[in-house]
Amino acid sequence: MTMLSVDQLNQVYVDTYTGEATVAIEDVSFDVPEGQFVSVIGPSGCGKTTVLNIVAGFVDATGGTVRLQGSPVSGPGPDRGVVFQDFALFPWKTVEANIAFGLKTQGVGKVERRAKAQEMIDLVGLTGFEKKYPHELSGGMRQRAGVARVLATEPAIMLMDEPFASVDAQTRRVLQQEVLRIWEQRRTTVLFVTHDVDEAVFMSDRVVVLSPRPSTVRADLSIQIPRPRSWTDMHTNTEFVRIRRELMTMLGVETGVETGSRSAP
Amino acid sequence: MSVQANSPSRAGRHAAGATPPTPRRASPARRAAALLRRQPIATLLPFAVVIGVWAVVSALGIFPSSFFVGPATVFDSMVDSVRRGILPAYIQDSLTRLAVGAAFGLGIGVALGFLIGLNRYVRKFCWPVLLFFQAIGDIAWLPIVIIWFGFSLTSVTVVIVYTVTFPLIISIVAGLDAIPTNLLRAAASLGASRWRTLWEVYVPGALPGVSSGVRTGLGYGWRALIAAEIIIGTSGVGFMMFDARRQGDVSHVFVGMAVLGVLWYMTDALVLAPLEKETVERWGLVERIGR
Ligand SMILES: Nc1ncnc2c1ncn2[C@@H]1O[C@H](COP(=O)(O)OP(=O)(O)OP(=O)(O)O)[C@@H](O)[C@H]1O
Ligand SMILES: [Mg+2]
Repeated sequence: MTMLSVDQLNQVYVDTYTGEATVAIEDVSFDVPEGQFVSVIGPSGCGKTTVLNIVAGFVDATGGTVRLQGSPVSGPGPDRGVVFQDFALFPWKTVEANIAFGLKTQGVGKVERRAKAQEMIDLVGLTGFEKKYPHELSGGMRQRAGVARVLATEPAIMLMDEPFASVDAQTRRVLQQEVLRIWEQRRTTVLFVTHDVDEAVFMSDRVVVLSPRPSTVRADLSIQIPRPRSWTDMHTNTEFVRIRRELMTMLGVETGVETGSRSAP
Repeated sequence: MSVQANSPSRAGRHAAGATPPTPRRASPARRAAALLRRQPIATLLPFAVVIGVWAVVSALGIFPSSFFVGPATVFDSMVDSVRRGILPAYIQDSLTRLAVGAAFGLGIGVALGFLIGLNRYVRKFCWPVLLFFQAIGDIAWLPIVIIWFGFSLTSVTVVIVYTVTFPLIISIVAGLDAIPTNLLRAAASLGASRWRTLWEVYVPGALPGVSSGVRTGLGYGWRALIAAEIIIGTSGVGFMMFDARRQGDVSHVFVGMAVLGVLWYMTDALVLAPLEKETVERWGLVERIGR
């Protein structure tokens, strides 16, 4: 079943000072089947964030439609949970209250809310930090809370815009594996935006590649690396290495070794 | 000031006697005592140094005593004034006026601040007007206010309400504007209704703005009160200072100044700072203010 369908999306931004129009997205279409982990990658400024923001309902598209389970979306809603790059945790709420917030808006009772929040806290490995405020946590722990806050409400799809870009390289690897572990348990549909090719290949079932601005879908690759995946055996995985190289070339990120053997776009 | 430096135990009693207008008078006094018990040196040392310098300067006799008196003289005047009941009565009058004016000012300021900050149309309409009236300083209102309301408590209240309200509104609007967009987006995508977003995102998110607005507002209000008492007054700390000047009584002018300083310090240490500590500082929204 198709969970999310993005159809002929087009986005033109008009500069409020100069009145100049920028075509950010020319024409982007793709589908995300239920339970799939799909990444969107592309060069910087090609409109990845714009696509995600339109799907989330934060930005109104100038053209095209976004459908969730067949019905067009307009405005943000709890059916699409968003994990933000800057975490966007409420600073005045404890970890527990942040995670329970979505349940509260759904009218879930206090006792049940507690139990569910605790379950999520344990799931993401934040046990013992329930009563801390976000500023008392490390970046990695904050994003764990960000993920737990979204998972708690069981959205139809999870939207993530470079969720690990604000943490250090080592923590990033740990979080990627953690999120995959959780995802493999629950199989929530995920739309994941990143500019990190390794991350996209490691995490996803499919990678949608956008062209430079004004963007269109340049490639749509399926990734057949068996799960569960872990970083320790990724660099010797021939499929990983192959797709990674293909994507690198496509994005123009060529290393010295690869310049000689340029593959087709 | 000198009372505190000379004897902490007296300071406690003095504080209790000096703040009768608040119905829960035991609470700030107890908190003052607690503050002194917890960090007596940190609290009193800076004042002790100032008083020491002051004492030395006056002992050197650089200035004639009709211009400049030492802490001992001021302390005597203060004790005398307290004993005759004048100072407590005047402080009570001033604080009552400030409390009445500040209560109205805070109420109006908070309501208008959120209204203007959150509603696009209200903001468009109000902002120019706000800037216009902001330019007319508190004391610039006194002439017309006196014509309208005479030399009355109403006049004083009007001026204080005015001075408290404007900085508060502007600071709340700035505080609301400073709430990160992603927090609002997060709330919306977690299904929060308008009211829930108001209570759980806008209100706490604007608290740094509210607290700095309250600080500025009360500070201005306090100054406006003294100015109003000098011009309109028949009692109060400002009146006392002005009256003392007329009689060439420098030491009571100094008493007035010391009282102003101590009262403001106590407002900060006993009311504003604890509130900030429990909220905006606890949440990591602001660094500690001046501590
Ligand atoms: N609110 C906006 N107003 C005007 N132009 C915008 C706005 N948001 C994005 N743009 C423009 O649209 C284009 C796409 O931006 P977007 O943020 O979606 O790119 P991105 O692929 O997420 O980039 P990055 O990899 O750097 O995060 C850019 O050229 C950007 O300047
Ligand atoms: Mg982006």
